[in-house]
Amino acid sequence: MIPAVRPMRPWQARRLARRGIDGIINLAIAAFALAPILWGLSTSLKPTEDILIYPPELIPSRPTLDHYRLLVETGIHGPILNSVIVSIGAVLLSLGVGSIAAYAVARLPFRGKNVLLFLVVALMSIPLPSLIVPTFTFLANIHLTDSLLGLVLLYSAYQIPFVLWILYSYFLSLPVELENAALIDGYSRFQTLRKVVLPLSGPGLVASGLFVVTFAWNDFVVAVAMISSGEIKTLPVAIYGYLGFYGRDWGPLTAAAIISIVPVIAVFIFFQRYFLTGMTSGGSKS
Amino acid sequence: MSGAGITAGEDRLAGAHVGGSAAKARRRWSLRPDERRSLGFILPFLAIEIILVAVPLGIGLYYSFFRVDYFELTQFRGLGNYVRVLTSPMVLASFATTAVFSAFALIFTLTVGMGLALHLERDTKWSVAVRAVALVPYVISMLVGSLLLRWIFSKDAGVMGVMLGPIGLGDIAILADPKTAMAALIFNAIWRDSAFAMIVLLAGLKSIPPQLYAAARVDGAGALYRLWRITLPLMRLSILIAVVRLLIHFVNVLTFALILTGGGPNGATQTTGLALYRLGFIDFRLGEANALAVVVFLFNLVLVACNLLLFRERRRSP
Repeated sequence: MIPAVRPMRPWQARRLARRGIDGIINLAIAAFALAPILWGLSTSLKPTEDILIYPPELIPSRPTLDHYRLLVETGIHGPILNSVIVSIGAVLLSLGVGSIAAYAVARLPFRGKNVLLFLVVALMSIPLPSLIVPTFTFLANIHLTDSLLGLVLLYSAYQIPFVLWILYSYFLSLPVELENAALIDGYSRFQTLRKVVLPLSGPGLVASGLFVVTFAWNDFVVAVAMISSGEIKTLPVAIYGYLGFYGRDWGPLTAAAIISIVPVIAVFIFFQRYFLTGMTSGGSKS
Repeated sequence: MSGAGITAGEDRLAGAHVGGSAAKARRRWSLRPDERRSLGFILPFLAIEIILVAVPLGIGLYYSFFRVDYFELTQFRGLGNYVRVLTSPMVLASFATTAVFSAFALIFTLTVGMGLALHLERDTKWSVAVRAVALVPYVISMLVGSLLLRWIFSKDAGVMGVMLGPIGLGDIAILADPKTAMAALIFNAIWRDSAFAMIVLLAGLKSIPPQLYAAARVDGAGALYRLWRITLPLMRLSILIAVVRLLIHFVNVLTFALILTGGGPNGATQTTGLALYRLGFIDFRLGEANALAVVVFLFNLVLVACNLLLFRERRRSP
């Protein structure tokens, strides 16, 4: 016996159509967002002769890692290492300074707290391109241009307000009783922060740390202004250099672009929800 | 100490303000022991911000009054640098370019962001995933994003040829024509920042009580009417926040223009951010560059003040 096919009810048909349309829109959004990246990936895997074929191949017919090999041979690991160093330095300094200040704002009494919070939000919203000329003038005066330490300090200065803000909100959400117990047991405020509050603040630390890392890894505007010598270049500055050096040779250029974004996308996929914490917090660093 | 107290700590402070006005003044400036300890906690933060943000701005302001040759202040010019900068055709053209770019980028980014927010409002598995995908252009570096777009828009890639060929524009060199180059720059902004607008707008969208929609539906309001009369008015604050934050970013944009178009063709896409970069780091005219930086910074202060007002507003409304 073949079961009779029941005719679709009108509301079922409407729901199905709606889902279909939603699916198509979702696909269009994904295509719009990812097309430039996927196209870059495709180009980076093509042998040089195939890159300029018209009409272009969407998927490389003869995939090769030549361009990546060229980048490694010409020393892209130097800039990558610099970017890693700067990112780690900026995270450590920002989280250290930011968490201590955030704890004071959340728990300790002092006058002018509102003013301080406004200052934090103002600092979060100052756009970096408008700061680079005076900052370069200042750093040149104290001989801190062309130095990774200079970048670490600047990145920390620009990101500590975010760290402070995220951790301040996070500390407020922790139960104050635990801290009171620690204080009664004779811990100082600083010990309480280090041994009670911070161990409980994993998600807040991860959210703010990720924010600093991606900023430091991605930053181009500040680094290109402060760095000019080859050995100190971070990855984005090196890629900008490639743009001048390779010109219309897009194989190595797209390969460098992919190298730069793969870690960011991986981290973003793993820690997606943490990113949103920082984005809705009031600033607009770019 | 009236107004919205931020923490319990402040309520405790309220008791400190008693006594004569002289004693009050003294108390205002002298630190209590517990405040001294609090200050120790925030001092590193304040020191870093003062040394690396405030001091550079001060030095920049100082330099802006001088003729500067290779970091030597050679001649006091007073407001001369400002006059030079504000009458320079290159700078004036960059103001106009920035205004055009910001206006169009803002309108489109906000519209696309609102569309994304409305489409992805519900927290279904698919919506959450698509939101993440839409955010990818925002989380990768601006430099790389603009670089990849430059490759797509270049004639060599052949992508535009294939896509625009059917409508007879297969031969177009997008980045070589002033009008289409500006369109490409605006596209870069839409591509990168729409998802950012979406996130800000989603926060507002989710704070609208669903009962309102249900009631409107019972009263026979159509989808468009509900959007116009319920959704948009109740999202006023989120929309304003998105507008201000996007404007701060667009008005100062440097990377898009530097990487995607290089300011060309013929300066048609040279934004003020790029003009500032040129003046400071290519022409090395630090006096004029700092004067322009001060002008841009003053303009930014207005936007930052707007952001602060909105921020206060948002904290007041739960």
